[in-house]
Amino acid sequence: MQPSNGTGEVNLKVNLGNVEFKNPILVASGTFGYGSEAAKFTDISNLGGIVTKSVSWKPRPGNYPRRIVETPSGMLNSIGLANVGVHVFVDEKLPYLAEFDTKIIANIAASSQEEYCNVLEHIESHATPNLAGYEINVSCPNVKDGGLSFGTNVDMVHELTSALRPLTKRLLIVKLTPNVTSVAPFAQACEAAGADAISLINTVVGMSVDVFTHKPRLATVTGGLSGPAIRPIAVAQCYNARKNSKIPIIGIGGITSAMDAMEFFIVGASLVQLGTINFVDPDAGTKVINDLQELMKQKGVHSVDQLTNTLVIEERMKALGW
Amino acid sequence: MTTHRLASRSTLAPVTERRQIAPGLVVLRFLHPHIASTVEPGQFVNVLPKVGFTAPLLRRPFSVYWIEGEECEIIIQDHGLGTSILANTQVGEHLDVLGPLGSPWRYKSDDFDTAVLVVGGVGVAAMPLLTKHFLKNEVPFSTYYGARNDTLFADEYLAKVRYATDDGSKGYHGTNISLLRDELEKGSHPRIKLFACGPTKMMQAAIALADEFNVPCEVSLETEMACGVGICQGCPVETSVTENVTSGKKFYLVCTQGPSFLKEQIVI
Repeated sequence: MQPSNGTGEVNLKVNLGNVEFKNPILVASGTFGYGSEAAKFTDISNLGGIVTKSVSWKPRPGNYPRRIVETPSGMLNSIGLANVGVHVFVDEKLPYLAEFDTKIIANIAASSQEEYCNVLEHIESHATPNLAGYEINVSCPNVKDGGLSFGTNVDMVHELTSALRPLTKRLLIVKLTPNVTSVAPFAQACEAAGADAISLINTVVGMSVDVFTHKPRLATVTGGLSGPAIRPIAVAQCYNARKNSKIPIIGIGGITSAMDAMEFFIVGASLVQLGTINFVDPDAGTKVINDLQELMKQKGVHSVDQLTNTLVIEERMKALGW
Repeated sequence: MTTHRLASRSTLAPVTERRQIAPGLVVLRFLHPHIASTVEPGQFVNVLPKVGFTAPLLRRPFSVYWIEGEECEIIIQDHGLGTSILANTQVGEHLDVLGPLGSPWRYKSDDFDTAVLVVGGVGVAAMPLLTKHFLKNEVPFSTYYGARNDTLFADEYLAKVRYATDDGSKGYHGTNISLLRDELEKGSHPRIKLFACGPTKMMQAAIALADEFNVPCEVSLETEMACGVGICQGCPVETSVTENVTSGKKFYLVCTQGPSFLKEQIVI
């Protein structure tokens, strides 16, 4: 970290691969729809980028209710990748989002390698100017087919990433799950297979039980835990990935403020995504961007690069192997 | 670039009045000119229990119970941490309010001459603005209000009420649905439409009654929500139709496509 040069100028721009984001605050897939819903409540052009709700080849209706349970400082969801399908996505959603001055990252979910490839190729052939790239969801805990079965197998992640890499020159980001013993080999596999970045974490598998009826609160029994409750898990996983690979990291997990975002930058993230907080306040992204600028000014930091990977560990702890 | 006019951002609204209207039911009145001037009967607001804290994390949805000048009211039933915090909000404190949200009752449709409001429990919150509209526009209506006993009615803004209690302590001894059935069986009812809001069992019974007498029926649903604005997809209701449905033709979202649905649209 460098001291302030006294001008107080803060530049929020961040480069990832060949893409320049005007700021490092993105909104996470599944927490911002396809932009149009949130546009009634916030100026979405303020955002560094929007990661769209997962799309699969065919529309998916999602899971039976109940899909949402609030938990301490967090929530469990089991939406089940409800989405409009890739054809409606390219015909309606991408053109709508092309009107906004922000980068679009299309999140793809599928149940086979072939489907992942088909969806990506279909979007690629209908790309709009602000489509910056793809986020590959190999980590959804709430569907029976695909999702997590890819994300918990290092070889499958490597093979899938390798198969997708030649299909686009845009950003290829793999969204990893925290539901593994160590995220390090997954980060390394993505790096080796040529991904531009990894985003982590997706939700943590969780469960809540009604003690009066003895029934699980979610229809699908377990679901994905998100919100501030999982932030320490996410920070630790980003730290682990940074320590064990060089691949750029997009940090996700319970961020509600600029201060929260900064934790992720410090442990090694280049950008971050806001998730559950968008449900509480669809305008949260704009507030975090403004606050981040102020916070960086106060700290005398001029760019996000100056924050990324600046964790300080005491020498005596390093000597002990930490 | 497109410029977009924002419909609404969440607003910190000062609480101007707090009153208990029935056991466990508190009304909060707050200043909110935008909602007061734009809300329609059946719409709701999403209110954050404690500003700046992450537990409770999510907003809670409430029907807009009443409007007067630039002020709005909601009814809070204290049944958990979030609603308990909200119910104990004092005059001068602030509520973080997002709204108005959702689609209104189809109260201007021409499929009825006489409205029948079927009300149970805290579902009463969806009825006063509808009542106000029918009174103002001289639409004939009647209200069938059911409760366990006579201490539980919150009827301050209702009109033309027929009461029904499970224990017979006020009005008809039995459910409001039984009372309504008795009336319908007398025959010679004009073109009516049921507007129902209350416990799920009451709304199921209202739908069955409407089917039996072949009259239109609309129900206003309550469900868990995370965002209340159509983003999270967390509040689905199973649909019986296959058109104009978000995400794969199986569910409607209660928050944006509801909370009111025609009985033919949904399966509850």
